[in-house]
Amino acid sequence: MQNADGGWGYFPGKQSWLEPTAYAALALHGEPAVDRAWKLIESWQLKDGGWRPAADVQIANWTTALCVTIATLRGEFGGPFQKGVEWLLGSWGVESRLVNRMAVKMGRLEADRDLRLKGWPWKPNTSSWVEPTAHTIVALKQASSNGASKLSSKYRDEIRERVRMGEAQLMDVRCRDGGWNYGSRAVLGGDLPSYPETTALALLGLQGHADLSRSLERASQMARDQRSQMIIDQQDQQGAKKVNAPSPLARAWLRLALRLHGVNVDLPLGTPLRDVVVTAVDAIGAGANYQLFGTREVSREKPGAIS
Amino acid sequence: MSRSQTTLKTTRRDFIPVAGASLLAGVAGFEGAKPPVISRPESAAVTIIKARTYSEDLVKRMLEGIRECGLDVRGQKVLLKPNLVEFDPATCINTNVAMVAAALEVFQTLGASEVVIGEGPGHRRDTYALAEMARYRGEIADFDGRFVDLNRDDVSPVQGFADRGEIYLPNSALRADLIISLAKMKTHHWAGATLSMKNFFGLVPGSVYGWPKNELHHVGIDKSIVELSRIFRRSFAIVDGIVGMEGNGPIQGTPKQVGVMVMGSDLVAVDATCCRIMGLNPAGLEYLRMASESLGVIDEKRIQQRGESIISVRTNFDLIKSFQQHRLS
Repeated sequence: MQNADGGWGYFPGKQSWLEPTAYAALALHGEPAVDRAWKLIESWQLKDGGWRPAADVQIANWTTALCVTIATLRGEFGGPFQKGVEWLLGSWGVESRLVNRMAVKMGRLEADRDLRLKGWPWKPNTSSWVEPTAHTIVALKQASSNGASKLSSKYRDEIRERVRMGEAQLMDVRCRDGGWNYGSRAVLGGDLPSYPETTALALLGLQGHADLSRSLERASQMARDQRSQMIIDQQDQQGAKKVNAPSPLARAWLRLALRLHGVNVDLPLGTPLRDVVVTAVDAIGAGANYQLFGTREVSREKPGAIS
Repeated sequence: MSRSQTTLKTTRRDFIPVAGASLLAGVAGFEGAKPPVISRPESAAVTIIKARTYSEDLVKRMLEGIRECGLDVRGQKVLLKPNLVEFDPATCINTNVAMVAAALEVFQTLGASEVVIGEGPGHRRDTYALAEMARYRGEIADFDGRFVDLNRDDVSPVQGFADRGEIYLPNSALRADLIISLAKMKTHHWAGATLSMKNFFGLVPGSVYGWPKNELHHVGIDKSIVELSRIFRRSFAIVDGIVGMEGNGPIQGTPKQVGVMVMGSDLVAVDATCCRIMGLNPAGLEYLRMASESLGVIDEKRIQQRGESIISVRTNFDLIKSFQQHRLS
């Protein structure tokens, strides 16, 4: 499935994109195929240090975080890594601009979150959201621990502060049900529900954070739902009513995130669609190298905790 | 829904300045193509077809409406763009699967050389799981073989998108000869209504702009609606108004039985007609006011109404407080 340029498309036969390439590179960490992938990834870094998401796209975006994570895991602490970290530190959601914070103080702006907290956006000059914030926290935590000696002390201090604020923002936008959606806990005063895939991603970013029991219970419930939906699917073939559908992507992220939090889950693998992202995240989460996204030592698993 | 994490008491632009490029300055072409010259049409035709339930013969009804509009799709590559946003079994967020299945059959019957279905949901990453929940995968023949996840399609730059200069858009949409906006008739808590034009937000790729496509919110929802409609001029609207959504749409509203399909080639006129059916003054919606300056017609006197009359199908939708001033008398 690897393309001739060293990357992967979202689906086999499609042009290479950074996101599936990054997840495939993590899933195959240590394999020769990743060296070719890394060469392609390096070539997609823009002058400002950010990474573009595909060959034909000339704007940097959140996938820069994935590239910094891969660089750290590979021990590639040269220029691309340094510039990538710098780019991430220079990026934050525009909702935190001084003008907005002042407007809140003056009562001219209503915000559903604490605008003093800086998270990360999908692309520059937009607001911060759960998924890019979670991935960037993982990238910066790994960079500051595994690549600490390669970073200037100024960066180490800044990383610590941005990670603290990013984690606080994730907690601030947590839905009332304990999980996360894309990043809005309510609209017009009405609570919004959480999603399994974004709940799992937020938990990736919040590894080591206290006060996650409610969220872990919510994620475990989501995993149980995903599993029972599989059973309903099987029953459906025998004529039973299908009430909901499983999400292979949600299962893949839930398995990985819960495992990193010490909860082992029994969820089916795979997607009938040959979706490269799902396949790669499945491989990471179900394999021995699930700690690739780990930002702390996972001392002991609790197998079968949700069985 | 996810315009941003802030709600302005005055206007958003006070705080998130955008460059002063004229709305009308950028007319998009596909990757360096010469921008098309757009002149506002003087009149438009919109067809209203009654269909009380999704179990009626929607193919027959849809064919009837399309023929009223005089649309010829022979030999054309057609992209069906439903509104597939989120799933909540308690309400009716998405274009009903019966409408999508009927449209597929209709455009094949009418001689299109290719009919594909494409969507790029704004919140959920797993588009296929969403399609499963909305019963698209179960009830549309060979759905996976016909469907393109526009969030993860290959893309090309298009010049001239508001003040941003360019926007990346999915090749499946750019290469289509005709895009059918299979929208849902819903209220929208920021835009007033989400109909055939707002439906084009799903053409913007998450792979570049994220989930949600927050770039559009920062450009401005109304301006983005207009700009996307300007880019995708080769389009035709079929709005699913059999059961719409009122109140706090587009996600958290409640079902509203209307019993119509609304169709036409002028998406501005179609949306204006839908608004009148919903009891909304189209001139009160900023995106329609802007679009009426260059893209299409909202003046009722210049819209030739075919099929059913507006008055015979009008049913007032519940509106949230900020849009109640735009209730039609």
